[in-house]
Amino acid sequence: MEERLTRILLLLSEGGEALPGPTRLCQVAAEVTAMDGAGLVLLSDGRFQGVLCGGDVVSETLAELEFALGEGPCLDAWALDGPVFEPDLASPFPYGRWPAFAPAGTDAGARAVFGFPVHVGAARLGAIGLYRDQTGPLGDEQHADALVMADVVARAILSLQAGAALGTVGAELATGANFQAVVHQASGMVSVQVGEGVGDALVRLRAHAYGTDCTITEVATEVVARRLRFDPLEGEETGGGVPLPGVR
Amino acid sequence: MSPISRIGVAMTREALLLHTLVELADNLVDDFDVIDVLTVLSDRCVDTLDVAAAGVMLASPAGDLQVVASSNEAMRVLELFQLQADEGPCVDCFNDGGAIVNLELSTTDGRWPRFTPLALAGGFHSVHCLPMRLRGRTIGALNMFRSDRGALEDADVQAAQGLADVATIAILQHQAALNAQALNDQLNFALTSRVLIEQAKGKISEACHVDMVVAFQRLRNHARNHNLGLTELARGVAEGAVNPIALDPLKTRR
Repeated sequence: MEERLTRILLLLSEGGEALPGPTRLCQVAAEVTAMDGAGLVLLSDGRFQGVLCGGDVVSETLAELEFALGEGPCLDAWALDGPVFEPDLASPFPYGRWPAFAPAGTDAGARAVFGFPVHVGAARLGAIGLYRDQTGPLGDEQHADALVMADVVARAILSLQAGAALGTVGAELATGANFQAVVHQASGMVSVQVGEGVGDALVRLRAHAYGTDCTITEVATEVVARRLRFDPLEGEETGGGVPLPGVR
Repeated sequence: MSPISRIGVAMTREALLLHTLVELADNLVDDFDVIDVLTVLSDRCVDTLDVAAAGVMLASPAGDLQVVASSNEAMRVLELFQLQADEGPCVDCFNDGGAIVNLELSTTDGRWPRFTPLALAGGFHSVHCLPMRLRGRTIGALNMFRSDRGALEDADVQAAQGLADVATIAILQHQAALNAQALNDQLNFALTSRVLIEQAKGKISEACHVDMVVAFQRLRNHARNHNLGLTELARGVAEGAVNPIALDPLKTRR
């Protein structure tokens, strides 16, 4: 335990910052567990609150997928308040567990994914997602390292929040974070368009993203730009504009 | 697996450093006492590096430096640290955030009229101060005194700065754990507020045919007019209790 913690603190201190930010935390999380990447997401009440750090392109995509699809290792790790292991993302089992996330995550380049809750005592903050581009289980050593790392990350996040004014997210936490503002704005707009609650509106956005093979951010951007509207009728979209990726 | 193999310092020093870090980490895991950690840090500076005395000064909330740990409890040494609440290399290091290394006390020319004579009388010839940094701000300093003449090696300076950095992280980790529930509540409140405000902006934007900037202005304007919290009003709009069309219109500025 002490040696693991020592190694992690030492790696963190090499960043030259007494208070390592989310990017450095993700780098060290990946390095210490010998993974290809790590991402850090904030959750509360089982809801995705934002991606603190994608760490790398694949981790960023995986986090975005979890948010868009509402399933995946970070959400499960948070819900279970324990680690989640998926050594072979392309095998049949994860397709049953995460029917949408597993194939999309595989396409994104992940072959094994692991989720660890980030908490300090009863205070549950979010989860770390780890991925590798090769299949295979998490070794005992890596597992133990990941648990210690999750503790360090939890405390680091709280330290980063400590200086923030009430009602605001700490500046270092918010830097580089994606709190999906555009998705929440689009949920509000679609809620008015379809005459349903914002929760149902988010479900409609998700379904549309899934059905059109776009990310939820892309769909939301189209809605906010008023190029895509939803109407109250079951599952139909009206209005101009096809939500193509990259179209602005 | 050699946890500090990446640090390019001599083997014996590496071993001592590792031992120090393990001690620090041990304190972190068990009942954590900041003073213990910093005392370990000071002691190990003396054991590992070529210095005669070491101490840690931290800034109080009011901003003045206080001695929190020392490798040596001898009065003359403590006095040297204490004196630096007012003048001395630690104050200067703290104020400008830069390291002071290998400062020969005989060359300070009356810069610190009380500190320098006292240090020289204590048998110290050179002084070193390394900042403990947080958010570009200095929260304290690691202060070391040397009785021998000649410069401290670069590797020693780097090792000392490494110890100071690890101690700073340890202090912050501890503070965070103490306030975990409150900080997490605060973070969750901030995150939830953001979501509600964005959702409310979306509803106002759609219902009133305005862009997001104007939508936010209307939300804030109405909250101010009616003495409501922004988050509270945003929740009302987002959850459907407040009709976005019913929000006060923006006044045109004169």
